[in-house]
Amino acid sequence: MKYESVYIITDSLGRRGRVPRRMSIGLATILIVCVLWLAMTTLFGIVPSGRFPSPAETWSALVHVSGRGYGGGDLTLHVYNSLRLVVMGFLFAIATGVPLGLLMGWSRKAEAFINPIFLIIRPIPPLAWIPLAILWLGLGDAAKIMVIWFSAFVPSVINTFAGVRNIDRPVLEAAYMLGMPKFRFVTEVLVPGASPMIFTGLRLSLQASWTTLVAAELVGAFYGIGRVLNVAQQDLYPGMILVGMIAVAILGWGTTRVLGMAEARALRWNTAALAAKG
Amino acid sequence: MGVIRFQNVGKIFGPRGSGFEALKDINLEIGDKEFVAIVGPSGCGKTTCLRMVAGFENATDGVVSVDGTPIKRPGPDRAVVFQQFALFPWKSVYDNIDLGLRNLNVSSSERAQRIDAILNLMNLTQYAKHFPHQLSGGMQQRVAIARAYVLDPDVLLMDEPFGALDAQTRVVMQEELVRLARKNPRTVLFITHAVEEAVYLADRVAIMTRAPGRIKEVLDVASVRNAEDWDSHEKIEDVMDLESFVHLRTHIWRSLREEKAAQHA
Repeated sequence: MKYESVYIITDSLGRRGRVPRRMSIGLATILIVCVLWLAMTTLFGIVPSGRFPSPAETWSALVHVSGRGYGGGDLTLHVYNSLRLVVMGFLFAIATGVPLGLLMGWSRKAEAFINPIFLIIRPIPPLAWIPLAILWLGLGDAAKIMVIWFSAFVPSVINTFAGVRNIDRPVLEAAYMLGMPKFRFVTEVLVPGASPMIFTGLRLSLQASWTTLVAAELVGAFYGIGRVLNVAQQDLYPGMILVGMIAVAILGWGTTRVLGMAEARALRWNTAALAAKG
Repeated sequence: MGVIRFQNVGKIFGPRGSGFEALKDINLEIGDKEFVAIVGPSGCGKTTCLRMVAGFENATDGVVSVDGTPIKRPGPDRAVVFQQFALFPWKSVYDNIDLGLRNLNVSSSERAQRIDAILNLMNLTQYAKHFPHQLSGGMQQRVAIARAYVLDPDVLLMDEPFGALDAQTRVVMQEELVRLARKNPRTVLFITHAVEEAVYLADRVAIMTRAPGRIKEVLDVASVRNAEDWDSHEKIEDVMDLESFVHLRTHIWRSLREEKAAQHA
């Protein structure tokens, strides 16, 4: 997990000079995939359109859902609903998960109390909570936020906890020596010290949020991208399914990007420290 | 004030009886503004002595006190300089030095004044806005010393502060510390395994035995230094060439070698 964060940070900031080149290679790859897609479906007809939609069918599905609407609303409404739920669930999860991780990392007593509960709950896949959530809270927003919370909560707790435990012992002792008041100790030592791992946790939490949201919407929803996917599946409408999938990909990428920008800002000291180490 | 006193101090890690006995019957008094170095074979518990004064460890037996008050917890009256610098990597040089003063609720104008003075004294002024990792090891340790000195502590505890530095940097830092200590004397407890360093810096050198560590001998370096006027020499190598220096160093070497030999037997 640590190495992943190292890679992404140096990628987006540390090697600024190479970014344009990397970007152009990335765009070229996407272009090649699109050409292959066109070739396989429209030009040579190797893949029948019932199995996988052609670019034209996908485009018409996009126009369909953006204009007339599909599955109970137009694209903006679905995107807005999904995005809103992910952001709410994610924020709710990290607002509870990060402080709990800090507490567990800081106090052995708290860890001893909380860890057993955690060990029992952790192996349950977040998606397994969906039926219970729907039973309790119905098909509305509340059930989805609860499920997202469950899935995003765990990585943020674990990584924050590990981050606190990873702070160098002498650095903590230096803080004790300087006579830090408690609140300042948390905000100026524990949180920044654990922040590289905290951000790793947030990234995993965000991914988990999207996964669970789409799954929860597939099970039952009035609006949202999962709802679009579900209806399109029942209608045997491959173009629309692909539109839904691409929409999730773009949203997931965009939100990760926003988080990455916040991370690069907050961890400027760490980026440079890692670069200095080589 | 800043009188450190070890009275019959013992330290056992783990349960009494089956644990590891690190220190036994330590008796040592370090006077106000006195610079005492402890040398000893590795694993003899010299760092544990320092950590007990700092408040990071508690004595199993006896009492460690500063100015008669037994030590319970760490505090800014006993500033520590760590071997691994232990700076806050997310804070600039300036903010690292500032943090202790903020905790002491020093007014902002006085803080700025004191930090500027210490930055100037340690030749750090142009690095105030740098992050620690942008500096060399020697510079980082300078920041750590500044962070400790700026608190104006009664007691300064230095745990092998130059152990992680290369030989050249080490010499420069030793000379600077002597200048600082003569200009601005503090009670200093200095842990090292480098014999020359101890003789060059300290007023007295305490030699410890192998574990369980005891104080074997305490040498009065200050009287020799004053009699032979070491401080008239500006460079460390000139002092190290003096016959009186060599004599003291060799004495300590022999004493430590005896301990080493006993360890292997």
